[in-house]
Amino acid sequence: MIKINHLTKDYGQKRGVFDLTFEVQRGEVFGFLGPNGAGKTTTIRHLMGFIHPNAGNCSINGLDCGTHSAEIQRNLGYMPGEIALPDDMSGLEFLHFVADYRGVTDWARVEQLMARFELDARGNLKRMSKGMKQKIGIVCAFMHDPQVLILDEPTSGLDPLMQSHFIDLVLEEKAKGKTILMSSHIFEEVERTADRVGIIREGHLVTVDSVAALKAAQRKRYTVSFASEKEAREFAKEPLAVDFVKGKDVTVTVNDFQPFVAAMSRYTVVNIVAVEQSLEEIFMHYYGK
Amino acid sequence: MNTTLFKRELRSSYKLWLIFIAILAMYISVIISMFDPKLGETLDLFAKAMPEMMSLFGMGETGATLIDFLSNYLYGMLMIVFPMVFIIMLANRLVVAHVDSGSMTYLLASPNTRRKVALTQMLALLSMTFVLLVICVGIAIGVSEAMFPGALVIGDFLWLNLGLACLLFALCGYCFFISCISNETGKAVMFGAGVPTFFYLVQMLANMGGKLADLKYATIFTLFNPKAIIAGDTSAWWMCGALVVIGAIFFVVGIARFEKRDLPL
Repeated sequence: MIKINHLTKDYGQKRGVFDLTFEVQRGEVFGFLGPNGAGKTTTIRHLMGFIHPNAGNCSINGLDCGTHSAEIQRNLGYMPGEIALPDDMSGLEFLHFVADYRGVTDWARVEQLMARFELDARGNLKRMSKGMKQKIGIVCAFMHDPQVLILDEPTSGLDPLMQSHFIDLVLEEKAKGKTILMSSHIFEEVERTADRVGIIREGHLVTVDSVAALKAAQRKRYTVSFASEKEAREFAKEPLAVDFVKGKDVTVTVNDFQPFVAAMSRYTVVNIVAVEQSLEEIFMHYYGK
Repeated sequence: MNTTLFKRELRSSYKLWLIFIAILAMYISVIISMFDPKLGETLDLFAKAMPEMMSLFGMGETGATLIDFLSNYLYGMLMIVFPMVFIIMLANRLVVAHVDSGSMTYLLASPNTRRKVALTQMLALLSMTFVLLVICVGIAIGVSEAMFPGALVIGDFLWLNLGLACLLFALCGYCFFISCISNETGKAVMFGAGVPTFFYLVQMLANMGGKLADLKYATIFTLFNPKAIIAGDTSAWWMCGALVVIGAIFFVVGIARFEKRDLPL
């Protein structure tokens, strides 16, 4: 279990984290969301024992993160937000090194993970793409079958197929009763795996809520393209929550699908695109209600 | 100590190490081959003709014996400066370079404590430095015996190198300390290399004698005194002891600082 208790680290100029309190339960995936620079990584660095708080504390399975980090690490898997790997080794050499260094004896699990993510680690780390490095990071975080996982933006740089492999892996680990903290700046990245989500902004925890509640609060917006601008203008007059018209495109917020679909059926619709909502929009709306 | 990490560090730095051994082996062989009891007289003439120039490089008085010759020409500069550069480079690679590049993350995201990581890196630094010294001593003795059999008093020569080992230990401690407390390689190199270089320059000026001789109190290199060691002065060993204490303090403080401080990872 991860416990963060009134954690404060002030870097000045409003940067840092302030009086952060939340918990991640055993068997839970906690999505830690916030825009870039909000304090996600700062929080995680405290959990890893890399930095020490000005006030408050945090613990993992009852051990203080500042003083017992080596003990905690025995049972913790970590994926840093920015993966920095040595440049004088091949991927395979590095994985062997990390396994030996950690005292991992089960190489079969490493091979399973590599196969799962279609990782050919024979090349030199220096020449690896962001996605390849990310895969190396995944293998390192999961190779010792840890009880607690801290994943800092784990899917950035992965292609959609690998992202979905990763989500499957996280769900499996969750089913095994692992405690998982996963950060992201995109809600969609954590909504399939997380039970609860905490949103952090400018160092302050804005809200902790279930994914279901956030999803319910999420506005659904679509941009519909029509055959002509005339049609678009006419469609905009329909009794719908039209946000704006731009050329042949009309962007609509949809609360009830039936009238929306019925209205569209009377026009020549060329395309429909779901508009992705930024995190800011989701929680602005969440609070707007 | 973590043996996996220790081996990894040896593997990643052995090329640098071999380069320094090769350079030193070359200088050692060349300097020894230049030894000639009659040449000593010639150099004495030089020393008389332009004493400032010669003393600047610690080559003030030349001796007639091989060990005096070596302590002047090898242990006045080459055997200090090259190992010093090696120590500066290696100490930086072992700690601050990992912190700066972020690869320290993987070393600490493991069941190894920061102290264990730091001690492993310290041992890597000390073992590579001292094996380098031992190899140089071996080469020097080998070349001397091959070219001037029986000319080198090996006992005294070993004492001389033990004294040098104390100086190198102090340098290792200082550079490791800087490496442990820094976040950026650039700054670490500035302080890690800058201070020893400055001290060495002060030493060069102090060597010139006259009023400048008092500068010897402003540099730690004074604590390594080849002539006094060869002469068997007890003061020489007090000074070497001081070097060991200085080095040990730097190691202890550096590692303690590394254990406690916030790391930019």
